[in-house]
Amino acid sequence: MAALDQTQVKEGVDQETVDAVREVGTYKYGWDTDIEMEYAPKGVNPDIVRLISEKNEEPEWMTEWRLSAFQRWSGMDEPDWAMVHYPAIDFQDQYYYARPKSMEEKPKSLDEVDPKLLATYEKLGIPLKEQMILAGVEGAENAPAEGRKVAVDAVFDSVSVGTTFQAELKKAGVIFCSISEAIREHPELVKKYLGTVVPVSDNFYATLNSAVFSDGSFVYIPPGVRCPMELSTYFRINAENTGQFERTLIIADKGSYVSYLEGCTAPQRDTAQLHAAVVEIIVEEDAEVKYSTVQNWFPGDENGKGGIYNFVTKRADCRGDRSKVMWTQVETGSAVTWKYPSCILRGEESQGEFYSIAITNNYQQADTGTKMVHLGKNTKSRIVSKGISAGKAQNTYRGLVSMHPKAKDSRNYTQCDSLLIGGTCGAHTVPYIEVKNNSSRVEHEATTSKVDDDQLFYCRQRGMDEEEAVALVVNGFCKDVLQALPMEFAMEAQQLVAISLEGSVG
Amino acid sequence: MLEIKNLHVQLEEEDKQILKGVDLTVDAGKVHAIMGPNGSGKSTLSYVLSGRDGYEVTEGSATLEGEDLLEMEPEERAAAGMFLAFQYPVEIPGVGNMTFLRTAVNAQRKARGEEELSAAEFLKEVRAKAKSLKIDADMLKRPVNVGFSGGEKKRNEILQMAMLEPKMCIMDETDSGLDVDAMKLVAEGVNALRDAGRGFLVITHYQRLLDHIKPDVVHIMADGRIVKSGGPELALEVENNGYSDILAEVN
Amino acid sequence: MALPDVKQTATEARLAALTMPDAGCTQAARDDALARVLETGLPGRRDEYWKYTRPDTLVAAAAVPAAVFSDDEPLVFDEFDRLKIVFVDGVFSPEESDDLAMDGISIDRLEDICCKDIHWAKQLYGVLETRGQDPVARPLAALNTAFATDGVAIHVTGKPSKPINLIYRHESATSDAILHHVIRVESDAEATILETGPAASRFNKCLEIDIADSGTLHHVRAQGRDHERRAATHMFTRLGQESVYKSFTLTVNGVLTRNEQIIELTGNDAIAHVAGACVGDGDFHHDDTVFVTHDAVNCESRQVFKKVLRNGATGVFQGKILVKEGAQKTDGYQISQSLLLDGDSQFLAKPELEIYADDVACSHGSTSGAIDETALFYLRSRGVPTKDATNMLTLAFLAEAVDEIEDSALAEAIVSRLEGWLARRT
Repeated sequence: MAALDQTQVKEGVDQETVDAVREVGTYKYGWDTDIEMEYAPKGVNPDIVRLISEKNEEPEWMTEWRLSAFQRWSGMDEPDWAMVHYPAIDFQDQYYYARPKSMEEKPKSLDEVDPKLLATYEKLGIPLKEQMILAGVEGAENAPAEGRKVAVDAVFDSVSVGTTFQAELKKAGVIFCSISEAIREHPELVKKYLGTVVPVSDNFYATLNSAVFSDGSFVYIPPGVRCPMELSTYFRINAENTGQFERTLIIADKGSYVSYLEGCTAPQRDTAQLHAAVVEIIVEEDAEVKYSTVQNWFPGDENGKGGIYNFVTKRADCRGDRSKVMWTQVETGSAVTWKYPSCILRGEESQGEFYSIAITNNYQQADTGTKMVHLGKNTKSRIVSKGISAGKAQNTYRGLVSMHPKAKDSRNYTQCDSLLIGGTCGAHTVPYIEVKNNSSRVEHEATTSKVDDDQLFYCRQRGMDEEEAVALVVNGFCKDVLQALPMEFAMEAQQLVAISLEGSVG
Repeated sequence: MLEIKNLHVQLEEEDKQILKGVDLTVDAGKVHAIMGPNGSGKSTLSYVLSGRDGYEVTEGSATLEGEDLLEMEPEERAAAGMFLAFQYPVEIPGVGNMTFLRTAVNAQRKARGEEELSAAEFLKEVRAKAKSLKIDADMLKRPVNVGFSGGEKKRNEILQMAMLEPKMCIMDETDSGLDVDAMKLVAEGVNALRDAGRGFLVITHYQRLLDHIKPDVVHIMADGRIVKSGGPELALEVENNGYSDILAEVN
Repeated sequence: MALPDVKQTATEARLAALTMPDAGCTQAARDDALARVLETGLPGRRDEYWKYTRPDTLVAAAAVPAAVFSDDEPLVFDEFDRLKIVFVDGVFSPEESDDLAMDGISIDRLEDICCKDIHWAKQLYGVLETRGQDPVARPLAALNTAFATDGVAIHVTGKPSKPINLIYRHESATSDAILHHVIRVESDAEATILETGPAASRFNKCLEIDIADSGTLHHVRAQGRDHERRAATHMFTRLGQESVYKSFTLTVNGVLTRNEQIIELTGNDAIAHVAGACVGDGDFHHDDTVFVTHDAVNCESRQVFKKVLRNGATGVFQGKILVKEGAQKTDGYQISQSLLLDGDSQFLAKPELEIYADDVACSHGSTSGAIDETALFYLRSRGVPTKDATNMLTLAFLAEAVDEIEDSALAEAIVSRLEGWLARRT
């Protein structure tokens, strides 16, 4: 998010890419912050689960919910079907709870937050101060630079350290706070919705998350409200050997709208770190949610050492008629990514969209995609996935499109393109297509190719060096997805595309 | 400006000699035309000079203002002032024409140690130049050459040439696929760029382009060599009698 | 790793019902195959590779009895000049078969390869099947190698003047056949193999095809119209340099069919095309599972599968293109499409790409939908009755697969079968 503080008007965001390529250095967010941390003992057991619950001052029902999740998790096996390989994770050798000591007493306002913490976020380019207004940098000649607000909830290791713009959001009736606060302040909403989209026993990692999630964000948009600003959560893993298990719950009530952004970074470390998040989205009648992610967890070094293991369950339930959800993700980080943001299209005429760019370089492995489950009549879904693989990386698109017998007159269109840079990486496509009625139409297309030599030569003839040319062509390849991102993210994403591919040429 | 001596080139993948000793000197301010039948090696010459992969120079040299072109990467040649207007301009989906141009302009400026153009300066310049080539704002926004008509693609090449201000321009069959009006427009664009410091090498199969871009010297190329050189009248001879007479005469 | 109990029990039950034939020189290959079956167990309902097709009746100890279907219609290629090799309920019938001698080819019964000392066949039996077990286990093929009771070894050394027709007759409602053939096509040799007929109530067939450099094999198969039959077939094909393999399968009827094609391009510039057209009505489950491995430079593979389904029929396609590291200039194409004629039918597909080389052009497409209403209306507005218009569009839909058959006479025979089927059904 470093680009956020640049306020000058840009002619075209693509220029950013090129500038970024020129930047030396690789993972920009690889430093750590020396803050005194409070840890729970290593490992996970019912006591740790109780402790996390206690630290968050949770009511008894929540503690029980977690404990039952833990019990289920104890009997589950780690999934092995994804095309990712990593050394066995010792789940008892992780810290499941870490928080800055300064957070022991909850700060009353941002002014009480440890200045080092704030400095960390400043370094990340996150505007924690409420007066900070992000510059709109809409490109092209005709767009004036006009101010835009983004409310941010920042999560540092296990806990939320501050949420901005709360007052203004409150006026609109929007609840945007940490999930721990929501459990205390809005138990009726949490009780009603938590675990209804991703059930406690959904999968190994989601179940673990249900037991040990320490914090995360909560959003409720009341009926008919168009959220007055974009909401954003910034996740940062700082402490070593610490797993981050955040939980996000977004409820868009009837006729409401919200755009939600998620960004992630972590320090550069030799040992791999675990991240297992759960995101649940409920979309009621006529409501719309846009969820955008720029995932830039530390990918490990060029020899494949360290990095984040990212096992994430994200799912949206389009419960109401004409509800709509759009997932956009740019996955450039993590050593291992295992992530399938999905849509349950239950309401009639509901719509799900999934736009994804996954870039893997060096020894990164990504197995990512989506599930579009069509249950209601006249439902529509669209999948656009762009996978780029370089170095010795493996990049897999895995997806499901399912048309149930009752999902009459539904549509799906899927386009999966893979680009290979160099002869030692892999690009894979594993779609599942299940059509159980004949009035629905499903179309799936996938291609795999290398960066086009003619395009590269053309760029180079016009004076760009090879890396610049590759970055330009790859950004072109990703255009359909980049366009789906909110402006700030699009800029960051373009830079990331270029940075992620550094050293992949030649 | 451009000096080619005894240039021998073969295809990398198969043992096939395409250029068999080309000698050519283009001075600054001059327009040279190369004509010749299909397969004579005209396009190969343009690709070798701009550094496309797949060709192996087995003998000879090519220099631009004394610098060895053949040792340079394509982008270094571009920064040194070499420009190739492609016979088939490449489509690059997803990359905006404007972005492409600005990236190229600034990359070259940077390589030459010049200051990059600011967004405002760049825009001003590109708009003015686009206007004279009848390239509308929409064409500038669309992805590079994607969905462009034949004429639009060639005009876009000339716009790039105008923006990049190269020293040596090679135009590879720029007239192919153009109707008379489009050809006039392209020729006007080229003529506007003619000045004392710039050399042109116009490769064409037909004489008609040379009605609009008047050459100083015309060369006939056949079987990988320049077999005859002369003034503009040589082009007319080809137009009237075809290549066979000249080739017969040479052989 | 120990097998799950359910699988262990099912596998033991199936093996208990089988006796390994006295196999002579293929004994070692059979023992080896049996060991593979014991290790992996037979396919179970929870296996990922059987996600869309229930293997229960294919692995059960006994075959489900299937009524023998009969009508007056001759077999698809009956009017062709061909060399007939006839099996009745899985047993070779010398009486009904032609004289097996022909120029450019030699054909022997599997049980004779040991006494006749046919080296190439002894060396091929079970070999391609074994290679095809990685990375995905195919226990039914291993079971076949271990327990096959009959089959032929076909050695193509020249260019035989007519096609070889393997005819599988089904006469007993309780027949349960396991056949295993091996085919070797020598350099510059070329042959056409035809397969027709349902074979048995339950049919497990394995075909190993080894094509030497510059060899060519055409394969056209029509699986027989018995409504109640069940079949699991495997074709393992290995291609040498500049060799060509083209296979087409027509399936109409049959309560359960699983056709697996495992193709390995091991020599540069080889070409492999597999295609299938299936028309399913009612209690019909048809599964095409294809696995193409590119392990050489500049090879081309093509998969074209079309399924027309109605009245609750199910069509399955699992296709994979695997491009190994170094297999540059690969051209891999795959298309799977279904036409659902009513709301009860289903199409389940898993088209996969797994690619470890960068200079490749691989693509797959998959679509599913109803008949094109605009086209239907257009035809009707020109006076074509709905039924004929539907048939016309259905045939047009299947044409892309049928077009993969190079011999136009064979293609026409397939088309006329399809026309007949459509005419009767609508």
